[in-house]
Amino acid sequence: MIPAGQSLSYDSAPAFSTPLRFFLTAPAFGIATGATLLAVPELLDSRWTPGALAVTHLIAVGFMLSVMLGALLQILPVVAGAVIPLSGAVSTVVHLALTIGAICLAWGLGSGAHGYLVPATVLLGGALALFLIAAAVGLRRAPIAQATPRDLRLALLGFGIAVTLGIALALVLARDVTLPLLIVLKLHIGWALLGGAGVLLAATSWVVVPMFQITPNYPVALTRFWAMGTGSVLVLWSAAVLGELVSAEFALAIVLTGSCVAFAVSTLRLQRQSRRSVPDVTMRAFQLGMASFIAGLACVLVAHQSDQAVWPVLAGILVLHGGFVSVTVGMLYKIVPFLAWLHLTQEKGKAPNMKKLQPDTPVRRQLMAHAVALVMLVLAAVGGHAVLVRAAGVVLVIEFGWLLANLLKVIAAYRNARAAS
Amino acid sequence: MTQITALMTDDHRSCDEAFARAETAASKSKWDEASVALEQFISALESHFDAEESFLFPRFEAATGMTEGPTKVMRGEHAEMRSALERMRDALVRKDRDDYAGEAETLLILMQQHNMKEENILYPMCDSQLPAGEVSAALGERLRAGAQ
Repeated sequence: MIPAGQSLSYDSAPAFSTPLRFFLTAPAFGIATGATLLAVPELLDSRWTPGALAVTHLIAVGFMLSVMLGALLQILPVVAGAVIPLSGAVSTVVHLALTIGAICLAWGLGSGAHGYLVPATVLLGGALALFLIAAAVGLRRAPIAQATPRDLRLALLGFGIAVTLGIALALVLARDVTLPLLIVLKLHIGWALLGGAGVLLAATSWVVVPMFQITPNYPVALTRFWAMGTGSVLVLWSAAVLGELVSAEFALAIVLTGSCVAFAVSTLRLQRQSRRSVPDVTMRAFQLGMASFIAGLACVLVAHQSDQAVWPVLAGILVLHGGFVSVTVGMLYKIVPFLAWLHLTQEKGKAPNMKKLQPDTPVRRQLMAHAVALVMLVLAAVGGHAVLVRAAGVVLVIEFGWLLANLLKVIAAYRNARAAS
Repeated sequence: MTQITALMTDDHRSCDEAFARAETAASKSKWDEASVALEQFISALESHFDAEESFLFPRFEAATGMTEGPTKVMRGEHAEMRSALERMRDALVRKDRDDYAGEAETLLILMQQHNMKEENILYPMCDSQLPAGEVSAALGERLRAGAQ
């Protein structure tokens, strides 16, 4: 029988404001990242500078995690049949705690005022815990036979582990808790970027790429085993890190990298077989993202074997900004205008089409600015000159400001259409 | 994936291909070709809707006793897609490339989120609630008849 609460109806989907608040505050963290580069150009000297730690978390938590949680609140009912209980209230509390927590975290890491890390851990830990509980309640009744809902659960588990490790790290810095810092840090990065964000991206791609870009399906072996297999290797890699088995750790890192490259290459190959003649912005964003992931993963391996500070910085730029930000922006440009259209249709019975709500030209130009920002960041990391870093900071501010403006224009078009009918 | 899910998911993908042919032709302002391709797409989609509305959904409703559940929601979404198809037809008649692209983009997302619900939730339920072999054979016949 059909479980209670699983109606598939738009009526059970969350209000427009539920995911939207996450999407509208996220670009502000990107703008803050650019401003920080502008103010502190030496932050790209090494991954260990306080500024580098701050901007990494502005992007990873303030931008990426925020959009991912907002999108999950919207798509869990559609993809997994999971109805999040009290989604409006959960969204308000999670969003507030995540936003304030991300600010405290970035400030605490960047300014050296480690006292801010304590409220950051409470707020971010609380936000994710609340989200995971709400999602678990919703998913409890959902069918699990399909690859995507199963992989979504794995991603949520990955985020849970990553945030727990992050809290441990913050307590090391803020409260002098004694832990092997480097080991916990490695695990935190692995679980955040691969166990959480990477698996979530794969789970989303299994559905989004074939359906919206009209490509063949991913190979069954990939959709069935990639997330479970990669997750299992991640567990082994974690054991090697904990045991300080350097050779085993490197060998397993190569396996993980190969697994991620296989996903990225498979996605690019499918996109080349797309039946859509005009690649849209989302497809372009995915292509840029996958190419960046491959380049970033190569840098991860080189960084393993090299003492030069530039390789981990390049890996971070290519994986975070080039990889995850690209695909996240690409998804935002699909989700926000569709939700505007959907809510207008529900409320008023009709709506302007998606390209009237979100014209192509500014969106294409913003993605160009994003690509330019990526190139500037890479040049700044390699060149190391303050002028280059500042210039990259300016382009980042433009990129994320433009993204915010484009999203606000969709909201303005939504409001105008609502008022007119 | 079990029989009903596999069959109906494949038919979704086949409809997608017809959608893409029409979109490609319209983007190149090949209006006659676009019109033929759009009618083929509409015909494929209508066959799919008909197989669901006149056969699969009633069987599901009879087996579960649920007439106000997910099948009602899916029927409502079919109606919305039919409206969107009319707007695409209208844009083609007017030879308005931008309007067609916007309406097509809207339909694509509407259709795919609908397909996600069916493929991830409703079809697996049909597979578990109905005699899947017999139902998928009958569905296959209906889809083939519609395609001719």
